[in-house]
Amino acid sequence: MCHLQKYVLKRFLSLFGTLFGVSVLVFLIVHMIPGDPARYIVGKNASEEAVKAMRAQLGLDQPLITQYFDYLGNLVRGDLGTSLFTGIPVWEEIVSRFPITFQLAVYGVVLGSAIGILLGVIAAVKQNTLLDRLVNTLSTISISAPDFWVILFVIWLFAYQFGWFPISGYDGFYSLVLPSLTIGLFSIGFIAKMTRSSMLDVIKQDYMRTAEAKGVATWARVFAHGLQNAVIPIITLIGLQFGGLLAGAVITETVFALPGIGYFAIEAVIKRDIPTVQGVVLFVALLYTVVNLVTDIVYSFFDPRVRYE
Amino acid sequence: MLRFYRFKQWFLLLLVSVVFLAGCTSATPSQTNGENDQSSGKGNGGEGGTVVIAAPIEPDTMDMHLTAWYDDANTRIYDFLLARNETGKIIPGLAESYSVSDDGKAWTFKLRKDVKFHSGAPLTAESVKLSVDRCLKICPDKSMLGPIEKVEVPEPSTVKITLTEKYAPFLTIAADFLAVLDPARVDELGDKFGNNPSATGPLVFREKMRGASLTYKLNKAYRWSPENAENKDAPYLDEVVFRFIKDDDTKMLEFKKGTIQIFQQVPTNYVKELESIPGVEISKTLEAGMNYLGFNNQHPFFQDVRVRQAIAMTVDRTPIVQYAMSGLAEPIHGPLPTTIPGYSQKVEEMAKEMYKRDITKSKQLLADAGWMDTNGDGILEKNGEPFSTELMIEGGTEKQKIAVILQSQLKEVGIDVKITTVTDWLTFRDRMAKGTHEMFLNEYGWLDPDILHLIFGKGNSTKLYFETDELEALLIKGRQEIDEDRRMKAYEEVGEYLVKASPWVPLYNRETVTAYRDIEGFKSSASTGVIFQDIKLKKK
Repeated sequence: MCHLQKYVLKRFLSLFGTLFGVSVLVFLIVHMIPGDPARYIVGKNASEEAVKAMRAQLGLDQPLITQYFDYLGNLVRGDLGTSLFTGIPVWEEIVSRFPITFQLAVYGVVLGSAIGILLGVIAAVKQNTLLDRLVNTLSTISISAPDFWVILFVIWLFAYQFGWFPISGYDGFYSLVLPSLTIGLFSIGFIAKMTRSSMLDVIKQDYMRTAEAKGVATWARVFAHGLQNAVIPIITLIGLQFGGLLAGAVITETVFALPGIGYFAIEAVIKRDIPTVQGVVLFVALLYTVVNLVTDIVYSFFDPRVRYE
Repeated sequence: MLRFYRFKQWFLLLLVSVVFLAGCTSATPSQTNGENDQSSGKGNGGEGGTVVIAAPIEPDTMDMHLTAWYDDANTRIYDFLLARNETGKIIPGLAESYSVSDDGKAWTFKLRKDVKFHSGAPLTAESVKLSVDRCLKICPDKSMLGPIEKVEVPEPSTVKITLTEKYAPFLTIAADFLAVLDPARVDELGDKFGNNPSATGPLVFREKMRGASLTYKLNKAYRWSPENAENKDAPYLDEVVFRFIKDDDTKMLEFKKGTIQIFQQVPTNYVKELESIPGVEISKTLEAGMNYLGFNNQHPFFQDVRVRQAIAMTVDRTPIVQYAMSGLAEPIHGPLPTTIPGYSQKVEEMAKEMYKRDITKSKQLLADAGWMDTNGDGILEKNGEPFSTELMIEGGTEKQKIAVILQSQLKEVGIDVKITTVTDWLTFRDRMAKGTHEMFLNEYGWLDPDILHLIFGKGNSTKLYFETDELEALLIKGRQEIDEDRRMKAYEEVGEYLVKASPWVPLYNRETVTAYRDIEGFKSSASTGVIFQDIKLKKK
């Protein structure tokens, strides 16, 4: 077994520990926050007796430890439980919503990375010029612009005024163009800034001067020799952003009325839909860990000096 | 080169996954109704077309017996034993007539004979019995059906429901909750009935996209529409789509663009803009409910009736209605609004007169109760304790504006109000159940005066914590009086009692605003909801 395989195996084993920890934490948090889901289910006009009866029916009157082991037992059998409100298995809800969130994250990150890296490289190569300052300003705007207003502006311009895209809702790839664009816009700033800073370190290295002395063309030098050596922190940042987006871009999903996982999780928290909250958090934790692992593995593709031991 | 090749492999893998996922989801609704309904478009139902509605909330389920949320998006699949007209008056529904036994316990409903389920099967008394029995078994709050002892079917189209005691609100239950489900579908799907419901109502389930929309076909066989609809023939439309868009700005843009024809529960800040758009029509209906300033009557500050009365006569509803509610509300002084049976003009006038804004009198009442500003800081004290109290609110801008107005008004008589905002209803309700709250802004809603028993009845008062033997007796009298006139009289007594005791300060009755465009025949009220069979698309 090679080092990489051993490393991956070790990380997969540690995944179970992480998920167990997450399951305990999320269980405790959802049971400790005030608000009784039974009250929501029986409705606003229900009597206290009806609330009590519903608590008993849901098993919420059992000691916390009993409830946790019931939950853990089901989890081991691969059962994330059933939504207290819709009666639909949590796994089915996740499966129906996650593809939208996933596509949104992929398109957004690909767009943000492509433009962000390009701008970052340009800013580094043209350091202290007008172009550098322009990229810096654009990056700052991208980072600090309020999500909500940018999204509304994009909708107003491209969907409402020009009519190029639907205003909201999910209807295949076409309906994801604007949401992905906004997610990309928010990623550009971070990636451009990180690329610029990382490239500035690399550009000053001896091998870059050697390449220049050997007559390698500027852009070939920058991308083949420079960017390849500067890419590790950029990959880390992209990995973190991608992992975060898989938990759902809540504002984007809300404003574009996309039935993704982000708003679904928020709604579950508001209603204290305990099985749904637990299921979604565990699923997201699993994804996040896997994305981190993939990010770590990707390092070696770009930098052969990275060793997995 | 090798590294680039590997990178390309990863990239291709990612691309394939995305395309695969896109393919998986592009046209996959969560649930669809595969059947062809037995209805047939005839008469004036040929106009067709689809109307898209921006609905306020996505219902948890379409199963009437399991849902905690009732609105047009999930209840119009069903018809009820009785119905209501736009003023809230009970009218025949699936039952063409009903009678009550002399002891007020046995309710007999004679069913229409021309009604069919969406599956084509005829409505029978047996299906009514099965529906009621199912609710008694699985409804989250079984008590909402009243004290039912048994359901019998003396004849194929007659249902007799016997109660354990006299219970006048049963009429309301028959009109608002006794929906009849298709027994064949219930047999087939059990507690998953909500995934593909079948009943007798004007809307036939077609497709559900969880988190996004619900699509219904219009029931073209629908000829048993209650009197509240003008169109007694087949509905004009083909399809109705309810979209659940969370963001109000997005809804507004969709509506202005014309991709949505009906915008339900328009936020107050959009109403003026919508009114100015040519072709947009606005419907305003008063809710069957009331918003009030509540006291935790167990709290030492509010145990003295003089304190409660003093606060009631300090509150001025005008800025609340005009500023916080943008004029989209009616001020209320008595315990029931005009939209709920039991409203009494006499009680309303009495409350208005008794609690006419009077700061001097209010201060006097507080002084009589022992509250005086002894240290000159502008805040009243009693036994060294300042009258500093919490006003808990849940919700957005409107409630915050109201809270600030009340804070400023109560400051005039020396009451210091601290506003606490909680972000969700469950936290809000949890604090009330624990009794740790002091003052709060809340609302209630139901189309029967028995709502007052749910608020003040013995064992029920877990928000206002106000229960007395005298009030309980009056509420029970109202609950058990079958004769409508005498029942309304009984609630007049309840009203008078509550006005004098002032366990809350009624504030306003909200107007629900619906904007619509490109359609005609739109009618909606708190008691009927949208009447779909009358709607048709405007010819362009």
